Amino acid sequence: MQMKHILEGKNINKFYGNFRVLKDINISIPEGQIFGLLGPNGAGKTTLIRTLTQITAPDSGEIIYKGLPLKAYKSSEFGYLPEERGLYRKMKVGEQALYLCQIKGLDKKEALHKLKPWFEKLAMESWWNRKVEELSKGMQQKLQFAITVAHSPKLLILDEPFSGFDPVNTETIKNHILDLKNEGTTIVFSTHNMASVEELCQNITLINRGENILSGSVNDIRKSFSKSLFQVQFKGSKVAFANALGYQFEIDEIIETPDHTNATVLAHNGSGSKELLTWLIQHVEVISFHEKLPSMNDIFLDLVGSLQNETRPS
Amino acid sequence: MSANKIGLIIKREYFTRVRKKSFILMSVLGPLIMAGVLTFALWTSLEQSEDQKILVIDDNYPFFESLEGSSKLTYNVMDISLSKGEALLEISDYTALLYLPKNILQSKSGQLIFKKQPSIKVQRQIEQNIQQYLELSKLKEFDISESDYRRLRAPFNLLTFQFKGTGNEAEETNMLPAIVGLVFGILIYFFIFMYSVQVMRGVIEEKTNRIIEVMISSVKPFQLMMGKIIGVGAVGLTQFALWILLTITLAIGGQFLLLGNKYDASQINAPMTELVKEQVEQEQTIKLNQLSQEDNLFNKIRRINFPVMIAVFIFYFLGGYLLYSALMAAVGSAVDNDTDTQQFIFPITFPLLLAYILSFNVFENPSSDMAVWLSIIPLTSPVIMMIRVAIGIESADMWQVYLSMALLIGSFLGAVWMSGKIYRVGILMYGKKPSIREILKWLNY
Repeated sequence: MQMKHILEGKNINKFYGNFRVLKDINISIPEGQIFGLLGPNGAGKTTLIRTLTQITAPDSGEIIYKGLPLKAYKSSEFGYLPEERGLYRKMKVGEQALYLCQIKGLDKKEALHKLKPWFEKLAMESWWNRKVEELSKGMQQKLQFAITVAHSPKLLILDEPFSGFDPVNTETIKNHILDLKNEGTTIVFSTHNMASVEELCQNITLINRGENILSGSVNDIRKSFSKSLFQVQFKGSKVAFANALGYQFEIDEIIETPDHTNATVLAHNGSGSKELLTWLIQHVEVISFHEKLPSMNDIFLDLVGSLQNETRPS
Repeated sequence: MSANKIGLIIKREYFTRVRKKSFILMSVLGPLIMAGVLTFALWTSLEQSEDQKILVIDDNYPFFESLEGSSKLTYNVMDISLSKGEALLEISDYTALLYLPKNILQSKSGQLIFKKQPSIKVQRQIEQNIQQYLELSKLKEFDISESDYRRLRAPFNLLTFQFKGTGNEAEETNMLPAIVGLVFGILIYFFIFMYSVQVMRGVIEEKTNRIIEVMISSVKPFQLMMGKIIGVGAVGLTQFALWILLTITLAIGGQFLLLGNKYDASQINAPMTELVKEQVEQEQTIKLNQLSQEDNLFNKIRRINFPVMIAVFIFYFLGGYLLYSALMAAVGSAVDNDTDTQQFIFPITFPLLLAYILSFNVFENPSSDMAVWLSIIPLTSPVIMMIRVAIGIESADMWQVYLSMALLIGSFLGAVWMSGKIYRVGILMYGKKPSIREILKWLNY
């Protein structure tokens, strides 16, 4: 299926002095999806986001937005929630929200009109006349999220959007992100939380040390990293189960519970689920059977975990 | 659209500052202090008074023959030439020589050449005596009506001259423009310092608040920096305008309180109140006019060319402020907190501090080589040129003013350009404090 890309980076290079932060990065963000931008600390994620949002210019390479080179400042179509984010502490909540929306190109009336529903959705109406410094950190995070999305950006870039939120608020924000996606917003989601990547993202790019080391759909990636492991839950004798496997399969792990047994089976030589299941049902009562795909977390650790992480200030 | 954004930034920077309590307090306290100083100076000059014995040279002799003073101020009217009068002044115990020239009715001015500067009170009294004398003599001539009265009014200026012996030209001794220039120069120093530091603080605040990245995803760093600089500068101009307005109001008020009672124009107005009895209200306004016109110190202040002074002040404040605040914005962007700024602030503001310290020398010797150079070099020119302009620059030296202005404009454009480059990189840098060498490298990022 040919995907339409809203934003593409081509051969992007960025240097800080002699230090090459981004090395020939290519990245394509499909329209209307939640796209995961992953990478360890100091990999260059923030710098990449900054070049994509025109905060800093790349030293070489091209950024294509909706098929055309990104030249003019497109801030009104972008919404960016940086990882390190803050507000003017002395300003009032409403004043601040209006100001930041106006800076995005809305006029005052529009800004008010668009902010109101978000203040309702996030239960923040009563904060309007309070000073920002009176809000708790979580409240400020909520306000920042509302301000980032209020001007209805076409492309929303969220850098660790859940940090600082309790589980209840995390769930709320997650649902709002999904709603926005369903309304047609493209979302770039940068995080270290791999569980949320599996849950939300269709496609990802993983960068490490300024290089794009992995791109593709989450499903394809997980399949390609599959080690042909199968998860079987059954009732019956362990010995019978072991005998059924033959030489093509091998038990990786087996755990007995009072009711049933859980086993992880490793297939050799490209043997598939069909053969395994055919043999097994003749000997034991199979309760469940599925291929065990590696988690994004496993893949992440596999690819970058062995490398020593350098932590740089971002 | 970008102009619109920069406007929004200016608006925010401006209004968050002028709404602060500290701004309102400063706006009121500043003029109170200034007016207090002025009033105090006036009051002390009024208090001291010695007996004055004045030799009057009347070119229209015997027109002023019956001029009368008071017990402390005696006149001796003579029909001699000015040079003879000066010779007489030198050898006699006259304290001063009052010269009333032939064309006094047209020029409406005379000259007082003194040995020791007479107090303002004395000068005022001489003026009043003569004005009254002239008015009385005119009243005899004219038919009396309100319109006649207006025509009869004869404002009189007293120019004081230090007597330097016969044959030497007496030197006018009005120090006031220089003092006002010094005050304006010092004001420029404080304004530039105060407001460029505010720009730096504002930049640091945005950086430590971590709002900077949100902001520059919406506007260009240069817009944000210029918006801040212009917004804060507008706050400075507002403060200045408020100070001027309030100072004038307070000074006029103070003048009334101080002089209104002592010199209530009863003696002057005695003959006139009869004439305009029926027009009490109008007479009130006339009294007001007279009072404010007759006071000598205020006359002198009025002779200072305030429109030029204020225009020069605004130019040099804005030029100097743009130059320094751009540099300060760069400093603010390079560091994470106030304490790290010291290392950079000192070298940057040193020329400004130097200008402030040397301004007293320039005040005394405004055309020395040092004064000329300092008034041309952009980092010191705002303070120094202000003082020189106030004292007065000869038309042959006007090129210095133009050169100084051109250099100031050129250097603030340069500073804004350079700071914009540093700012753009600096605002996104956190962590260790960069060295000056590293900061200069950012110019090429």
